[in-house]
Parts: sequence; C-alpha cells; structure tokens
Amino acid sequence: MEHAFDFTMRWAHFIAALIWVGHNYASVVQRPTYRPLTRDDLVSTESSAFMAVLNREHGTFRYASVVAWLTGVMMLWQRGWLVDALTLNGYFAVIGTGFWIGTLMLLNLWLVLWPHQKKLLGFVPATVEERVRCSRITHLSSRTNTMLSIPLLFFMAASSHGSALFG
Amino acid sequence: MKVPFDTATGTIVCGLLLTLVLYLLVRQLVSGG
Repeated sequence: MEHAFDFTMRWAHFIAALIWVGHNYASVVQRPTYRPLTRDDLVSTESSAFMAVLNREHGTFRYASVVAWLTGVMMLWQRGWLVDALTLNGYFAVIGTGFWIGTLMLLNLWLVLWPHQKKLLGFVPATVEERVRCSRITHLSSRTNTMLSIPLLFFMAASSHGSALFG
Repeated sequence: MKVPFDTATGTIVCGLLLTLVLYLLVRQLVSGG
C-alpha cells in the first residue's frame, strides 16, 4: 500500500510537472524572441479569441503547478525526508535544492505572473496601456520559470540517479 | 530594456549557468566542504 501511494504520487508529479513546465517550453518554442504587444493585439476580434484559448491554457497549467508541488511534498513526507530536504541536510540537499527552486517557481507563477496575466487577459479591468505593460512582466516571469526549470530538472534527476556527481 | 530572457537562447544559457553554479554549491554542501 505504501509503495502504491508513493508510485501514484510520483506518477501524478510527473504528469502535473509536464503540463506546467511543458507550457513554458511550448511558449519558448512558439515565441522564441520577445515581441512587445501593441494596442492592436489587445483590441482586435481575432485577439480576443486567442485570449480565450490562453485563458483555458493558463488555468490548466496554473493548477498543474499546485498538483506538482503538493505531490512532491507528499513524496518527501511519506519517505520521512521532508525536514532533511527542506534544511538541505547531507545528500538531501540535492532534492532539497530542487524543492526550493520548485517552490520559487510556484510563488513566481501565483504571485507575479498570475496577477499581471489577469489584467492582460482582461479578467480584471485595466487600460490598454496597463495591459501592454503587464505583457512585459508576464513574459519576464514566464521566462524566469523556464530558466529555473533547467536546474530544477537537473536536481530532481540527480537526486535519484546522480549520486556519482556529488561524490 | 533588453534582457537575456528576451531570446530563447539567452533563457537557456542563463538556466545552464545557474545549474552549474548551484551544482558546485550543492556538491560542496553534500561533501561537507
């Protein structure tokens, strides 16, 4: 039963993390170079349809981030590693670094990206100028998480398969 | 103002550099150095 729980958490962790971080990589592939939004981008009919797609997409990966984080914490807790990982104790510093990077990404998503994305997508009232400004912040916030995902994935993989690297 | 995150290459290079720095720090931590 214990193994089934651990495996289910790990499976859910992978799926949620793929949805979350996969979204960041899709953004990098689709729009590799930053292009500032213009007033036309935000007021045309075509753009509002595009914004509706963004809305659904954004909600999905935002909640996937919570599932990824919670399942990660559950796995650490179930194995009795939580305190050692959080305090970066011994070899647990490897998974612990991954945990703290993931936590930073979660906070960046919910506290920086989402409040500005709400304005950009028109969920809360904002002038066109304000929405254009928000598009710059959401871009930087999103790319920060893409950048952080590189060491995050390194430490996650290294915690199980990279002990020789830290010997 | 342009920043490295404005291009895909800049984002990935920053990520790789951060990985290297953190790896060296955590390796020191793990080995108790």
